[in-house]
Amino acid sequence: MELLQYALRKLLAGIPLVLGVTFISFLLMVYFGPDQTYELLGKNPTPEQIEQVRKELGYDKPFAARYGDYLREIVTLDFGYSNKTGQRVSDVLARTVPISLALVAPGFVLGNMLGIALALLAAYHRGGWVDKLIMGGAVFGMSISFLIVVIACQIIFCSSYGLDLFPVRGWRMDTLGDYARYVTVPTIATVFVALGYNTRFYRAVIVEEMTRDHVRTAMAYGTPPARLLYRNILKNSLIPIITRIMFSIPLVVISGSLIIESYFGIPGVGKVTFDAITSGDQPVLKAVVGLTAVLFVLTLLVTDILYRAVDPRVTLK
Amino acid sequence: MSGEPLLSVDNLSIEFSTERGVVRAVDNVSFDVRAGETLGIVGESGCGKTVTGLSLLRLIPSPPGRIVSGSIRLRGKDLVALPERDMRAIRGRDISMIFQEPMTALNPVFTVGNQMAEVLRRHKGLSRRQALAGAIDMLHRVGLPDPARRVKEYPHQLSGGMRQRVMIGMALSCGPQILVADEPTTALDVTTQAQVMEQIVALQKEFDMAVILITHDLGVVAESCQRALVMYCGRVVEDAPVKSLFATPHHPYTSGLLRSVARIRPDRVASLPVIPGMVPDLANLPDGCRFRERCDNAVARCAGETPVLDAAPVGEGVVACFNPDNAASGEPLS
Amino acid sequence: MSSASPVADVATAPTEGRRSLWSKALYKFTRDRLGMGALAVVLLYGVIAAGAAAGLWGQDWAALSDATWAAASADHWFGTNRIGQDIFARALYSTRTAFEVGFVVAIASTIVGALLGAAAGFFSGSWIDEIVLWLMGVLDSIPFYLFVAAIAYAMKGSPFGMHVAMVATFWTITGRLVRGEVIKLKGQEFVEAARAIGVPRLVIIGRHILPNTFHILLVQATIVFVAAIKSEVILSFLGLGVKDSVSWGLMIAEAANEVQNGHFNNFIWASVFLFGLVMAFNLFSDALQDALDPRQVA
Repeated sequence: MELLQYALRKLLAGIPLVLGVTFISFLLMVYFGPDQTYELLGKNPTPEQIEQVRKELGYDKPFAARYGDYLREIVTLDFGYSNKTGQRVSDVLARTVPISLALVAPGFVLGNMLGIALALLAAYHRGGWVDKLIMGGAVFGMSISFLIVVIACQIIFCSSYGLDLFPVRGWRMDTLGDYARYVTVPTIATVFVALGYNTRFYRAVIVEEMTRDHVRTAMAYGTPPARLLYRNILKNSLIPIITRIMFSIPLVVISGSLIIESYFGIPGVGKVTFDAITSGDQPVLKAVVGLTAVLFVLTLLVTDILYRAVDPRVTLK
Repeated sequence: MSGEPLLSVDNLSIEFSTERGVVRAVDNVSFDVRAGETLGIVGESGCGKTVTGLSLLRLIPSPPGRIVSGSIRLRGKDLVALPERDMRAIRGRDISMIFQEPMTALNPVFTVGNQMAEVLRRHKGLSRRQALAGAIDMLHRVGLPDPARRVKEYPHQLSGGMRQRVMIGMALSCGPQILVADEPTTALDVTTQAQVMEQIVALQKEFDMAVILITHDLGVVAESCQRALVMYCGRVVEDAPVKSLFATPHHPYTSGLLRSVARIRPDRVASLPVIPGMVPDLANLPDGCRFRERCDNAVARCAGETPVLDAAPVGEGVVACFNPDNAASGEPLS
Repeated sequence: MSSASPVADVATAPTEGRRSLWSKALYKFTRDRLGMGALAVVLLYGVIAAGAAAGLWGQDWAALSDATWAAASADHWFGTNRIGQDIFARALYSTRTAFEVGFVVAIASTIVGALLGAAAGFFSGSWIDEIVLWLMGVLDSIPFYLFVAAIAYAMKGSPFGMHVAMVATFWTITGRLVRGEVIKLKGQEFVEAARAIGVPRLVIIGRHILPNTFHILLVQATIVFVAAIKSEVILSFLGLGVKDSVSWGLMIAEAANEVQNGHFNNFIWASVFLFGLVMAFNLFSDALQDALDPRQVA
């Protein structure tokens, strides 16, 4: 009951965020975005035809009315039909979001788990050569552009100049074998790119926790170093770790996969959204941006509840 | 007092590498602790008393700290040379430590009972349930009200005094021979301070253990200790039974410390005498006696030669000074 | 270990404390061999960029020739591309583009972040703070590449669409750091003392608070510089980046279609140049942070 009340309060507090995100996006992507009128018309349209199309697209209404329509669409979760393909927007999302999730999930999970593992290892050997090696590797990894990694991975794993083990591009997930074949190279690239940043962040968090008084107390009572790391330090570091992971989720779902999707020709939600921006497919755009904002508010809520679960000092107020 | 000392620290030196070079925080410190005795280590902040205390459990953060020489013998066994694994078995079982900050010394995300039980399970091999019962029993003995409820609470739900009692309970749970207490009451409010100190003294008798009390508070030393070590800039400058130290302090620094303690005198309110000058920078210490620049008794010899601990002119203690106060003849030596 | 009188501490904190921070940092930085080496590499890139801007080299980056897909030779050190352009000249000239993007974005987002962050921090808890925090939350919640694409279109293909979008997204990190630091500084004695004797608020912010956040701003600017150069590559690949010029990003984007056919020169040299600068800048940034703000780098 207390939790429910808290959740409701938190969701209400998220309304300004949703309004802000949708307003700025609407202004940029819809109001100043590409005009679809002439693409939908044949050659030499009559003024009446133009008028007709503009009316269908809603271009004739004033700004406030259009934005109001948008908000109503978010509340009802009904975004109508794509301007380009005529498909229902909800169908488009239902088809593309699972693909994107399946594409990025393994890399996201592995990137964070390996990052935490390497960070623990580095922190445990702080100042020693293991630490220097790992942190040097992290800076190296951080210094290579995502695009270079993607291209290099493709050359190494998917071309006749390299190992030629995996398909060059495309996407299939009918069977587990197909999925494994198509997801491997994107996953390697994602992990490589994320690992440097993750390891550095997690190491800093863990090292900061290592200097706390209660860690010294635990040592003064004979706690062995490995137990110290995973029981006393990791649990105390969970708040920043959870924050980092949770807040990357909404962005990873929507835009983190854009480069991979574009490069490997995978029909995920990142690619669809990007195409929608460049072509002015407003219903799709409005849906993606609106849902991302709502997803952020939900993330904030879930993150707060997770804080409560890992740190008894946090109260849901 | 006689017999083999329980703990014997001999010529201990500890260095820290800092950005400004190597700093010797503890310099040739030697002292003994006998079973059941309470030894006070007194000095200003930065004099090396806390580092000395931590070194007894080999808890000096390394890097940057390092024990460069000397030995710490517990019943004849040198702790400095002990493998880390064997050292861990000693921590919390043979030697326990309580810290100054009860607010931060306990882990905020585990319950009090969980943290105390962890120690009992590790050192005594108790089951989870036995360990929790042991924790409740211990909290009862340190005078924490309603211990069965408290073990389920987190540190932030307890007051500072209660947390320090938890810390003491944790320290004594395995029946250590030595308790190192680093400013155990400094962070507490005045009324709680006295209660916690009384508790430590009472439990010391009950458990028959030695206590090393690290403090800057001479009042606490006078009340609770049999013997005191005065440290200045990493060195022991005087080591004497408390009675003789307070009656006839020999080192000018000790005398200065005693003079600067506030005494409640209803007849007058005078300004407290202070020791002139400042504590020298540890990275840039003067040669010879480190106190000489602030010392009224300083003689030419103090600059060129380092005084070593030697039998005090009066009483039982030892003092490191070429020209001590309260010399038997009543006149400064030359 | 020395204890000066507290009165003196208060009086000297804003100026002398700051000076000693910077002189200590300089001393520490000059002793950091890796950091100094990285700085030397960055400066070398800077010279290349300045030379390209001044017309000393790399000027024929757009010149076509019949020698398409040429291998490395004395004429074309790194070979040529699909339409016979000299890859060495293009890589050199791209250094200029990278510095231009990096500087513009780093300086602009640092200024925006410093001003808004300081305002939010100084008036923390008030409506100003609420609005700045809300703005940061909103900007952080819009997917970056979608945001850039939208701005690029909204600005009708202006060459600065990319810059504006990066500044609009990158300032929030600086802003949050500055806000936190200002809240901390606000509670310190020298600020309270200034307020107690009636120094106007704008003067307090400008003279006492912002200068004490410069070390954060400098480190943060180097981080944004790197982020901008890296983002440019992705944006150029997506067709949203540099226009009417050449950049490592454009070269790599070109190469994306060529490597499957065995043409590696474009890809390799653009990657090497990009990696060298980013790596050196990262190491430089770390050393700087280590010297200025040791709490952040453990």
